Amino acid sequence: MTTRRNFVGTASGAVFAGALASAIGFHPLLAWAGETSLAIPGKDGMLVRSARFLDLEMPVEYAADWITPTHHFFVRNHMHEPSTLDPAEWKLSISGEVEKPYAISLAELSKLASHSVTNTLECAGNGRGLQNPKVPGVQWGKGAVGTGTFSGPQLRVLLERAGVKSAGKHVMFRGLDEVPGKVPPFIRSIPLEKAMDADTLVATHMNGAVLLKHHGFPARALVPGWIGAASCKWLTEIKVLDKEFEGNFMSPGYRMPNTAAKPGEAVKPENTHPVTALEVKSLITSLADGAALKGRAIAVHGMAWAGEADIARVEVSTDAGTTWKPARLGHDHAKYAWRQWTYAWQPQKPGAYVVLSRATDTRGRVQPDQPVWNPSGYLYNAIDQVKVHVEA
Amino acid sequence: MSKLKWLLVLLPVLAAAPQFWAQSPSLAVELPPGPMKAKATTACAECHEARIILQQRLSSAAWTKEVDKMLKWGAVVDAKDRDELIEYFSANFGPEQPVYVPSRTSVDKRQK
Repeated sequence: MTTRRNFVGTASGAVFAGALASAIGFHPLLAWAGETSLAIPGKDGMLVRSARFLDLEMPVEYAADWITPTHHFFVRNHMHEPSTLDPAEWKLSISGEVEKPYAISLAELSKLASHSVTNTLECAGNGRGLQNPKVPGVQWGKGAVGTGTFSGPQLRVLLERAGVKSAGKHVMFRGLDEVPGKVPPFIRSIPLEKAMDADTLVATHMNGAVLLKHHGFPARALVPGWIGAASCKWLTEIKVLDKEFEGNFMSPGYRMPNTAAKPGEAVKPENTHPVTALEVKSLITSLADGAALKGRAIAVHGMAWAGEADIARVEVSTDAGTTWKPARLGHDHAKYAWRQWTYAWQPQKPGAYVVLSRATDTRGRVQPDQPVWNPSGYLYNAIDQVKVHVEA
Repeated sequence: MSKLKWLLVLLPVLAAAPQFWAQSPSLAVELPPGPMKAKATTACAECHEARIILQQRLSSAAWTKEVDKMLKWGAVVDAKDRDELIEYFSANFGPEQPVYVPSRTSVDKRQK
Protein backbone atom coordinates (compact mmCIF):
# COMPACT_ATOMS: atom_id res chain seq x y z
CA MET A 1 0.00 0.00 0.00
CA THR A 2 1.15 3.53 -0.66
CA THR A 3 2.39 5.26 2.44
CA ARG A 4 2.02 8.96 3.00
CA ARG A 5 5.71 9.51 2.50
CA ASN A 6 5.93 7.82 -0.85
CA PHE A 7 2.62 9.32 -2.02
CA VAL A 8 3.83 12.85 -1.40
CA GLY A 9 7.35 11.93 -2.42
CA THR A 10 6.22 10.39 -5.67
CA ALA A 11 4.23 13.47 -6.60
CA SER A 12 6.88 16.08 -5.87
CA GLY A 13 9.69 13.86 -7.11
CA ALA A 14 7.87 13.33 -10.38
CA VAL A 15 7.40 17.06 -10.90
CA PHE A 16 11.12 17.55 -10.53
CA ALA A 17 11.96 14.47 -12.59
CA GLY A 18 9.64 15.71 -15.34
CA ALA A 19 11.26 19.13 -15.33
CA LEU A 20 14.68 17.54 -15.35
CA ALA A 21 13.86 15.13 -18.17
CA SER A 22 12.41 17.82 -20.39
CA ALA A 23 15.31 20.15 -19.60
CA ILE A 24 17.74 17.52 -20.75
CA GLY A 25 15.55 16.62 -23.73
CA PHE A 26 15.22 20.17 -25.08
CA HIS A 27 17.78 22.76 -26.01
CA PRO A 28 18.02 25.28 -23.15
CA LEU A 29 17.60 28.21 -25.58
CA LEU A 30 14.30 26.75 -26.79
CA ALA A 31 13.20 26.57 -23.18
CA TRP A 32 14.02 30.24 -22.69
CA ALA A 33 12.18 31.12 -25.88
CA GLY A 34 9.07 29.60 -24.36
CA GLU A 35 9.21 26.39 -26.42
CA THR A 36 8.26 24.34 -23.42
CA SER A 37 5.14 23.02 -21.81
CA LEU A 38 3.84 22.16 -18.40
CA ALA A 39 4.93 18.88 -16.86
CA ILE A 40 1.99 17.25 -15.10
CA PRO A 41 2.98 13.91 -13.55
CA GLY A 42 1.15 11.02 -15.18
CA LYS A 43 -0.29 13.13 -18.00
CA ASP A 44 0.92 13.22 -21.58
CA GLY A 45 0.33 15.89 -24.23
CA MET A 46 -2.94 17.09 -22.72
CA LEU A 47 -4.53 20.47 -23.49
CA VAL A 48 -4.11 22.76 -20.49
CA ARG A 49 -7.44 24.48 -19.87
CA SER A 50 -6.19 25.42 -16.42
CA ALA A 51 -3.10 24.49 -14.44
CA ARG A 52 -4.29 25.80 -11.06
CA PHE A 53 -6.89 24.37 -10.43
CA LEU A 54 -6.07 21.53 -12.81
CA ASP A 55 -8.26 21.07 -15.88
CA LEU A 56 -6.79 18.97 -18.69
CA GLU A 57 -8.51 18.05 -21.95
CA MET A 58 -7.73 15.05 -24.13
CA PRO A 59 -6.97 16.06 -27.73
CA VAL A 60 -9.64 14.09 -29.65
CA GLU A 61 -7.09 12.42 -31.89
CA TYR A 62 -5.89 10.53 -28.77
CA ALA A 63 -9.23 8.70 -28.58
CA ALA A 64 -8.09 5.69 -30.56
CA ASP A 65 -8.48 2.84 -28.06
CA TRP A 66 -11.73 1.69 -26.50
CA ILE A 67 -10.16 2.15 -23.06
CA THR A 68 -8.55 5.58 -22.69
CA PRO A 69 -5.06 5.24 -21.21
CA THR A 70 -4.93 7.05 -17.88
CA HIS A 71 -2.21 9.41 -19.14
CA HIS A 72 -4.70 10.63 -21.77
CA PHE A 73 -7.73 10.76 -19.48
CA PHE A 74 -9.19 14.25 -18.95
CA VAL A 75 -8.98 15.92 -15.54
CA ARG A 76 -11.66 18.26 -14.20
CA ASN A 77 -11.00 19.81 -10.80
CA HIS A 78 -13.29 22.49 -9.41
CA MET A 79 -10.96 23.19 -6.49
CA HIS A 80 -7.39 22.42 -5.54
CA GLU A 81 -6.33 18.81 -5.09
CA PRO A 82 -5.66 17.82 -1.46
CA SER A 83 -2.15 19.09 -0.62
CA THR A 84 -1.58 16.37 1.96
CA LEU A 85 -3.37 13.09 2.11
CA ASP A 86 -2.28 10.22 4.32
CA PRO A 87 -3.81 6.96 3.07
CA ALA A 88 -3.06 5.32 6.43
CA GLU A 89 -5.07 7.99 8.23
CA TRP A 90 -7.75 8.39 5.54
CA LYS A 91 -11.25 7.35 6.49
CA LEU A 92 -14.59 7.36 4.71
CA SER A 93 -17.59 8.11 6.92
CA ILE A 94 -21.13 6.93 6.21
CA SER A 95 -23.74 8.84 8.18
CA GLY A 96 -27.05 10.73 8.00
CA GLU A 97 -30.33 8.85 7.62
CA VAL A 98 -28.82 5.48 8.60
CA GLU A 99 -29.24 3.08 11.54
CA LYS A 100 -25.51 2.61 12.27
CA PRO A 101 -23.18 5.38 11.11
CA TYR A 102 -19.56 4.28 10.78
CA ALA A 103 -16.21 5.11 9.22
CA ILE A 104 -14.08 2.76 7.16
CA SER A 105 -10.32 2.83 6.55
CA LEU A 106 -8.65 2.25 3.19
CA ALA A 107 -7.32 -1.11 4.45
CA GLU A 108 -10.85 -2.21 5.38
CA LEU A 109 -12.30 -0.87 2.14
CA SER A 110 -9.78 -2.85 0.12
CA LYS A 111 -10.95 -6.09 1.81
CA LEU A 112 -14.49 -5.69 0.41
CA ALA A 113 -15.41 -7.47 -2.81
CA SER A 114 -14.27 -5.38 -5.77
CA HIS A 115 -16.60 -4.75 -8.70
CA SER A 116 -15.43 -3.33 -12.05
CA VAL A 117 -17.38 -1.05 -14.36
CA THR A 118 -16.13 0.19 -17.73
CA ASN A 119 -17.63 3.63 -17.98
CA THR A 120 -17.46 6.59 -20.30
CA LEU A 121 -16.92 9.58 -18.06
CA GLU A 122 -17.75 12.95 -19.54
CA CYS A 123 -17.69 16.39 -17.98
CA ALA A 124 -21.13 18.02 -18.15
CA GLY A 125 -19.40 21.06 -19.68
CA ASN A 126 -17.64 19.13 -22.47
CA GLY A 127 -18.09 21.15 -25.67
CA ARG A 128 -18.93 24.37 -23.81
CA GLY A 129 -16.44 26.24 -25.97
CA LEU A 130 -18.57 25.37 -29.02
CA GLN A 131 -21.75 26.94 -27.60
CA ASN A 132 -23.12 30.18 -29.03
CA PRO A 133 -23.56 32.68 -27.54
CA LYS A 134 -20.54 32.10 -25.31
CA VAL A 135 -21.15 31.14 -21.71
CA PRO A 136 -18.76 31.36 -18.74
CA GLY A 137 -16.83 28.35 -17.47
CA VAL A 138 -13.98 26.15 -18.63
CA GLN A 139 -14.07 26.46 -22.43
CA TRP A 140 -13.78 22.75 -23.15
CA GLY A 141 -13.43 21.64 -26.75
CA LYS A 142 -14.50 18.08 -27.51
CA GLY A 143 -12.16 16.07 -25.25
CA ALA A 144 -13.42 16.29 -21.67
CA VAL A 145 -14.44 12.66 -22.07
CA GLY A 146 -12.77 9.28 -21.71
CA THR A 147 -13.52 5.64 -21.00
CA GLY A 148 -11.93 3.82 -18.09
CA THR A 149 -12.44 0.64 -16.12
CA PHE A 150 -13.13 1.65 -12.53
CA SER A 151 -12.95 -0.84 -9.67
CA GLY A 152 -13.88 -0.87 -6.02
CA PRO A 153 -16.68 -1.91 -3.68
CA GLN A 154 -20.27 -1.26 -4.62
CA LEU A 155 -21.64 1.82 -2.86
CA ARG A 156 -24.74 -0.16 -1.91
CA VAL A 157 -22.64 -2.60 0.14
CA LEU A 158 -21.35 0.33 2.21
CA LEU A 159 -24.86 1.77 2.54
CA GLU A 160 -26.46 -1.57 3.46
CA ARG A 161 -23.87 -2.04 6.21
CA ALA A 162 -25.06 1.29 7.70
CA GLY A 163 -28.74 0.47 7.18
CA VAL A 164 -30.49 3.24 5.25
CA LYS A 165 -33.60 4.52 7.06
CA SER A 166 -36.86 4.88 5.17
CA ALA A 167 -36.41 8.67 5.32
CA GLY A 168 -33.24 8.40 3.18
CA LYS A 169 -33.82 9.70 -0.34
CA HIS A 170 -30.49 11.15 -1.54
CA VAL A 171 -26.85 10.28 -1.02
CA MET A 172 -24.39 13.15 -0.62
CA PHE A 173 -20.68 12.99 -1.41
CA ARG A 174 -18.02 15.26 0.06
CA GLY A 175 -14.41 15.22 -1.12
CA LEU A 176 -11.15 16.43 0.37
CA ASP A 177 -10.45 19.02 -2.32
CA GLU A 178 -9.23 22.31 -0.85
CA VAL A 179 -11.67 25.17 -1.21
CA PRO A 180 -10.15 28.63 -1.70
CA GLY A 181 -11.66 31.92 -0.44
CA LYS A 182 -15.37 31.84 0.27
CA VAL A 183 -16.06 29.50 -2.64
CA PRO A 184 -18.85 27.04 -1.80
CA PRO A 185 -17.50 23.50 -1.31
CA PHE A 186 -17.98 20.99 -4.10
CA ILE A 187 -20.70 18.88 -2.51
CA ARG A 188 -23.43 17.17 -4.53
CA SER A 189 -25.96 14.37 -4.06
CA ILE A 190 -27.50 11.61 -6.17
CA PRO A 191 -30.90 9.93 -5.68
CA LEU A 192 -30.84 6.84 -3.43
CA GLU A 193 -32.04 4.65 -6.32
CA LYS A 194 -28.91 5.45 -8.36
CA ALA A 195 -26.70 5.08 -5.27
CA MET A 196 -28.09 1.55 -4.72
CA ASP A 197 -27.51 0.52 -8.35
CA ALA A 198 -25.18 -2.49 -8.60
CA ASP A 199 -22.81 -0.51 -10.85
CA THR A 200 -22.40 2.57 -8.63
CA LEU A 201 -19.03 2.24 -6.92
CA VAL A 202 -16.62 3.66 -4.42
CA ALA A 203 -13.73 3.23 -6.84
CA THR A 204 -10.16 2.85 -5.64
CA HIS A 205 -8.69 1.74 -8.96
CA MET A 206 -8.77 2.94 -12.55
CA ASN A 207 -7.55 0.89 -15.52
CA GLY A 208 -6.04 -1.68 -13.17
CA ALA A 209 -3.94 0.72 -11.11
CA VAL A 210 -4.45 2.68 -7.90
CA LEU A 211 -6.24 5.97 -8.72
CA LEU A 212 -3.94 8.85 -9.60
CA LYS A 213 -4.29 11.82 -7.31
CA HIS A 214 -5.74 13.77 -10.26
CA HIS A 215 -8.50 11.16 -10.47
CA GLY A 216 -9.40 11.11 -6.78
CA PHE A 217 -6.94 8.95 -4.83
CA PRO A 218 -7.59 7.12 -2.57
CA ALA A 219 -11.27 6.72 -3.44
CA ARG A 220 -13.90 8.36 -5.61
CA ALA A 221 -17.55 7.82 -6.36
CA LEU A 222 -18.25 6.28 -9.76
CA VAL A 223 -21.80 7.01 -10.88
CA PRO A 224 -21.90 5.32 -14.29
CA GLY A 225 -23.61 6.93 -17.26
CA TRP A 226 -23.93 10.23 -15.42
CA ILE A 227 -22.05 13.52 -15.79
CA GLY A 228 -18.55 13.46 -14.31
CA ALA A 229 -19.55 15.87 -11.54
CA ALA A 230 -21.66 13.10 -9.95
CA SER A 231 -18.51 11.02 -9.38
CA CYS A 232 -16.98 12.96 -6.47
CA LYS A 233 -13.19 12.61 -6.07
CA TRP A 234 -11.06 12.30 -2.88
CA LEU A 235 -14.17 10.98 -1.20
CA THR A 236 -14.22 11.39 2.59
CA GLU A 237 -17.90 11.59 3.53
CA ILE A 238 -21.06 9.84 2.36
CA LYS A 239 -24.22 11.14 3.98
CA VAL A 240 -27.75 9.90 3.42
CA LEU A 241 -30.18 12.83 3.23
CA ASP A 242 -33.96 13.07 3.27
CA LYS A 243 -33.86 15.30 0.18
CA GLU A 244 -31.53 16.56 -2.54
CA PHE A 245 -28.47 18.36 -1.15
CA GLU A 246 -28.85 22.14 -1.19
CA GLY A 247 -25.69 23.86 -2.33
CA ASN A 248 -24.19 25.84 -5.19
CA PHE A 249 -23.21 22.77 -7.21
CA MET A 250 -26.77 21.37 -7.11
CA SER A 251 -28.45 24.74 -7.71
CA PRO A 252 -27.85 27.02 -9.53
CA GLY A 253 -25.01 24.76 -10.71
CA TYR A 254 -25.60 21.70 -12.92
CA ARG A 255 -29.18 22.38 -13.94
CA MET A 256 -30.93 22.33 -17.32
CA PRO A 257 -34.02 24.28 -18.43
CA ASN A 258 -37.30 22.32 -18.18
CA THR A 259 -38.46 23.77 -21.49
CA ALA A 260 -36.45 24.85 -24.51
CA ALA A 261 -34.78 28.25 -24.10
CA LYS A 262 -33.69 30.49 -26.96
CA PRO A 263 -29.91 30.90 -27.28
CA GLY A 264 -28.81 33.61 -24.83
CA GLU A 265 -32.10 33.58 -22.93
CA ALA A 266 -32.04 33.65 -19.11
CA VAL A 267 -33.71 30.72 -17.35
CA LYS A 268 -35.45 31.01 -13.97
CA PRO A 269 -34.09 28.59 -11.34
CA GLU A 270 -37.59 27.20 -10.68
CA ASN A 271 -37.78 26.19 -14.36
CA THR A 272 -34.76 23.89 -14.17
CA HIS A 273 -33.88 20.33 -13.16
CA PRO A 274 -30.57 18.69 -12.18
CA VAL A 275 -28.28 17.33 -14.89
CA THR A 276 -27.93 13.58 -14.37
CA ALA A 277 -27.30 11.09 -17.20
CA LEU A 278 -25.31 11.88 -20.33
CA GLU A 279 -26.92 12.52 -23.72
CA VAL A 280 -26.46 10.61 -26.99
CA LYS A 281 -23.31 11.84 -28.71
CA SER A 282 -20.61 10.93 -31.22
CA LEU A 283 -17.20 12.30 -32.11
CA ILE A 284 -15.05 11.99 -35.22
CA THR A 285 -11.59 11.26 -33.84
CA SER A 286 -9.42 10.32 -36.84
CA LEU A 287 -9.87 13.46 -38.94
CA ALA A 288 -8.51 16.76 -37.71
CA ASP A 289 -10.50 19.84 -38.62
CA GLY A 290 -8.82 21.53 -41.58
CA ALA A 291 -6.75 18.46 -42.49
CA ALA A 292 -5.51 17.87 -46.03
CA LEU A 293 -6.07 14.21 -46.97
CA LYS A 294 -4.54 12.07 -49.70
CA GLY A 295 -5.96 9.00 -51.42
CA ARG A 296 -9.38 7.65 -52.35
CA ALA A 297 -9.80 5.31 -49.34
CA ILE A 298 -10.06 7.14 -46.06
CA ALA A 299 -11.04 5.34 -42.87
CA VAL A 300 -13.10 7.63 -40.65
CA HIS A 301 -13.01 6.54 -36.99
CA GLY A 302 -14.84 7.81 -33.97
CA MET A 303 -16.62 7.12 -30.69
CA ALA A 304 -20.28 7.21 -29.72
CA TRP A 305 -21.94 7.02 -26.30
CA ALA A 306 -25.30 7.58 -24.68
CA GLY A 307 -24.95 7.61 -20.87
CA GLU A 308 -27.27 4.97 -19.45
CA ALA A 309 -28.52 3.92 -22.90
CA ASP A 310 -26.85 1.89 -25.66
CA ILE A 311 -25.79 3.15 -29.04
CA ALA A 312 -28.11 1.81 -31.74
CA ARG A 313 -26.30 3.24 -34.74
CA VAL A 314 -23.89 5.87 -36.02
CA GLU A 315 -24.28 7.47 -39.43
CA VAL A 316 -21.75 9.49 -41.39
CA SER A 317 -22.33 12.19 -43.97
CA THR A 318 -19.58 13.42 -46.26
CA ASP A 319 -21.79 15.94 -48.08
CA ALA A 320 -22.63 18.31 -45.20
CA GLY A 321 -25.72 16.32 -44.16
CA THR A 322 -27.51 15.75 -47.48
CA THR A 323 -27.05 11.97 -47.39
CA TRP A 324 -26.11 9.62 -44.52
CA LYS A 325 -24.40 6.22 -44.58
CA PRO A 326 -24.18 3.73 -41.70
CA ALA A 327 -20.88 3.36 -39.85
CA ARG A 328 -19.73 -0.03 -38.53
CA LEU A 329 -19.76 -0.31 -34.74
CA GLY A 330 -16.75 -1.82 -32.95
CA HIS A 331 -16.89 -5.13 -31.07
CA ASP A 332 -15.91 -3.78 -27.63
CA HIS A 333 -19.07 -3.15 -25.69
CA ALA A 334 -20.05 -2.48 -22.07
CA LYS A 335 -23.24 -1.09 -20.59
CA TYR A 336 -21.96 2.41 -19.85
CA ALA A 337 -19.07 2.61 -22.29
CA TRP A 338 -18.70 4.28 -25.66
CA ARG A 339 -18.65 2.28 -28.91
CA GLN A 340 -15.93 2.70 -31.46
CA TRP A 341 -17.15 3.17 -35.01
CA THR A 342 -15.59 3.16 -38.48
CA TYR A 343 -16.72 4.36 -41.87
CA ALA A 344 -14.82 3.47 -45.05
CA TRP A 345 -14.99 6.67 -47.04
CA GLN A 346 -14.13 6.68 -50.73
CA PRO A 347 -14.20 10.27 -51.92
CA GLN A 348 -14.85 10.33 -55.65
CA LYS A 349 -13.04 13.57 -56.40
CA PRO A 350 -10.71 16.06 -54.77
CA GLY A 351 -12.13 19.08 -53.02
CA ALA A 352 -13.48 20.47 -49.76
CA TYR A 353 -15.72 18.20 -47.68
CA VAL A 354 -17.74 18.58 -44.50
CA VAL A 355 -17.78 15.24 -42.66
CA LEU A 356 -20.49 14.72 -40.04
CA SER A 357 -21.27 11.96 -37.53
CA ARG A 358 -24.67 11.38 -35.95
CA ALA A 359 -25.44 8.81 -33.24
CA THR A 360 -28.82 7.32 -32.34
CA ASP A 361 -29.38 5.38 -29.10
CA THR A 362 -31.65 2.49 -28.14
CA ARG A 363 -34.13 4.94 -26.62
CA GLY A 364 -34.54 6.64 -29.98
CA ARG A 365 -32.59 9.75 -29.03
CA VAL A 366 -30.73 11.25 -32.00
CA GLN A 367 -27.89 13.77 -31.94
CA PRO A 368 -29.45 17.13 -32.84
CA ASP A 369 -28.25 19.64 -35.46
CA GLN A 370 -27.99 22.28 -32.75
CA PRO A 371 -27.14 21.79 -29.06
CA VAL A 372 -29.82 22.39 -26.43
CA TRP A 373 -28.99 25.89 -25.27
CA ASN A 374 -28.64 26.50 -21.54
CA PRO A 375 -26.92 29.32 -19.62
CA SER A 376 -24.03 27.14 -18.39
CA GLY A 377 -23.35 25.26 -21.61
CA TYR A 378 -23.98 21.73 -20.29
CA LEU A 379 -24.46 18.55 -22.33
CA TYR A 380 -23.33 19.87 -25.72
CA ASN A 381 -24.16 17.06 -28.12
CA ALA A 382 -24.70 18.56 -31.57
CA ILE A 383 -23.83 16.41 -34.60
CA ASP A 384 -20.04 16.37 -34.84
CA GLN A 385 -18.43 18.09 -37.77
CA VAL A 386 -14.97 18.34 -39.34
CA LYS A 387 -13.98 20.17 -42.50
CA VAL A 388 -11.29 18.49 -44.58
CA HIS A 389 -9.72 18.89 -47.99
CA VAL A 390 -9.16 15.86 -50.22
CA GLU A 391 -6.16 16.50 -52.43
CA ALA A 392 -5.89 15.55 -56.09
CA MET B 1 33.89 12.15 -5.48
CA SER B 2 36.08 14.54 -7.46
CA LYS B 3 35.10 18.14 -8.17
CA LEU B 4 34.65 17.27 -11.85
CA LYS B 5 32.27 14.45 -11.03
CA TRP B 6 30.26 16.74 -8.75
CA LEU B 7 30.05 19.24 -11.56
CA LEU B 8 28.79 16.54 -13.94
CA VAL B 9 26.12 15.57 -11.42
CA LEU B 10 25.08 19.16 -10.80
CA LEU B 11 25.03 20.37 -14.42
CA PRO B 12 21.68 18.86 -15.37
CA VAL B 13 20.19 20.12 -12.10
CA LEU B 14 21.45 23.66 -12.82
CA ALA B 15 20.16 23.39 -16.38
CA ALA B 16 16.80 22.30 -15.06
CA ALA B 17 16.39 25.19 -12.66
CA PRO B 18 15.27 27.88 -15.14
CA GLN B 19 13.13 25.29 -16.93
CA PHE B 20 11.47 24.39 -13.66
CA TRP B 21 10.52 28.00 -12.99
CA ALA B 22 9.47 28.57 -16.57
CA GLN B 23 6.96 25.77 -16.04
CA SER B 24 5.44 27.36 -12.98
CA PRO B 25 1.86 28.13 -14.07
CA SER B 26 1.79 31.50 -12.35
CA LEU B 27 4.78 32.60 -14.44
CA ALA B 28 3.69 30.92 -17.64
CA VAL B 29 0.64 33.04 -18.40
CA GLU B 30 -0.28 36.58 -17.44
CA LEU B 31 -3.28 38.83 -17.79
CA PRO B 32 -2.99 41.46 -20.57
CA PRO B 33 -1.51 44.90 -19.93
CA GLY B 34 -3.75 47.66 -18.65
CA PRO B 35 -4.31 49.83 -15.60
CA MET B 36 -6.26 47.01 -13.91
CA LYS B 37 -3.74 44.22 -14.61
CA ALA B 38 -2.10 44.28 -11.18
CA LYS B 39 -5.35 44.52 -9.23
CA ALA B 40 -7.01 41.81 -11.33
CA THR B 41 -4.02 39.52 -10.88
CA THR B 42 -4.04 40.00 -7.12
CA ALA B 43 -7.80 39.52 -6.84
CA CYS B 44 -8.07 36.44 -9.08
CA ALA B 45 -4.77 34.59 -8.61
CA GLU B 46 -5.53 33.95 -4.96
CA CYS B 47 -7.78 31.11 -6.12
CA HIS B 48 -6.97 30.40 -9.78
CA GLU B 49 -4.51 31.20 -12.53
CA ALA B 50 -4.96 33.52 -15.53
CA ARG B 51 -5.70 30.82 -18.15
CA ILE B 52 -9.26 30.43 -16.92
CA ILE B 53 -9.81 34.13 -17.66
CA LEU B 54 -7.88 34.19 -20.96
CA GLN B 55 -10.18 31.56 -22.50
CA GLN B 56 -13.47 33.41 -21.77
CA ARG B 57 -15.28 35.38 -24.52
CA LEU B 58 -18.12 37.04 -22.68
CA SER B 59 -20.42 40.03 -23.08
CA SER B 60 -20.15 42.91 -20.65
CA ALA B 61 -23.36 41.70 -18.96
CA ALA B 62 -21.88 38.22 -18.49
CA TRP B 63 -18.61 39.68 -17.12
CA THR B 64 -20.63 41.73 -14.63
CA LYS B 65 -22.28 38.55 -13.34
CA GLU B 66 -18.94 36.73 -13.15
CA VAL B 67 -17.17 39.53 -11.28
CA ASP B 68 -20.04 39.87 -8.81
CA LYS B 69 -20.05 36.09 -8.26
CA MET B 70 -16.32 36.14 -7.57
CA LEU B 71 -16.69 39.09 -5.15
CA LYS B 72 -19.27 37.01 -3.27
CA TRP B 73 -16.83 34.06 -3.31
CA GLY B 74 -14.06 36.05 -1.67
CA ALA B 75 -12.17 37.96 -4.39
CA VAL B 76 -10.69 41.06 -2.73
CA VAL B 77 -11.54 44.11 -4.86
CA ASP B 78 -12.12 47.68 -3.68
CA ALA B 79 -15.73 48.71 -4.33
CA LYS B 80 -14.43 51.67 -6.36
CA ASP B 81 -12.54 49.28 -8.70
CA ARG B 82 -15.45 46.96 -9.54
CA ASP B 83 -16.69 48.79 -12.64
CA GLU B 84 -13.20 49.30 -14.05
CA LEU B 85 -12.43 45.61 -13.50
CA ILE B 86 -15.55 44.61 -15.47
CA GLU B 87 -14.50 47.03 -18.25
CA TYR B 88 -10.98 45.55 -18.30
CA PHE B 89 -12.29 41.99 -18.71
CA SER B 90 -14.98 43.01 -21.22
CA ALA B 91 -12.48 44.91 -23.37
CA ASN B 92 -9.93 42.08 -23.40
CA PHE B 93 -12.14 39.00 -23.35
CA GLY B 94 -15.29 39.87 -25.28
CA PRO B 95 -17.27 37.64 -27.67
CA GLU B 96 -15.26 38.88 -30.68
CA GLN B 97 -11.91 37.74 -29.30
CA PRO B 98 -10.26 34.86 -31.17
CA VAL B 99 -10.57 31.39 -29.70
CA TYR B 100 -7.97 30.75 -26.99
CA VAL B 101 -5.43 28.13 -28.05
CA PRO B 102 -4.34 26.09 -25.03
CA SER B 103 -0.80 24.79 -24.58
CA ARG B 104 -0.17 21.10 -24.00
CA THR B 105 1.41 19.26 -21.10
CA SER B 106 4.78 17.77 -21.90
CA VAL B 107 5.20 14.08 -22.61
CA ASP B 108 5.48 12.08 -19.42
CA LYS B 109 8.15 9.62 -20.46
CA ARG B 110 7.19 7.15 -17.75
CA GLN B 111 4.05 6.43 -19.78
CA LYS B 112 5.89 5.54 -22.97
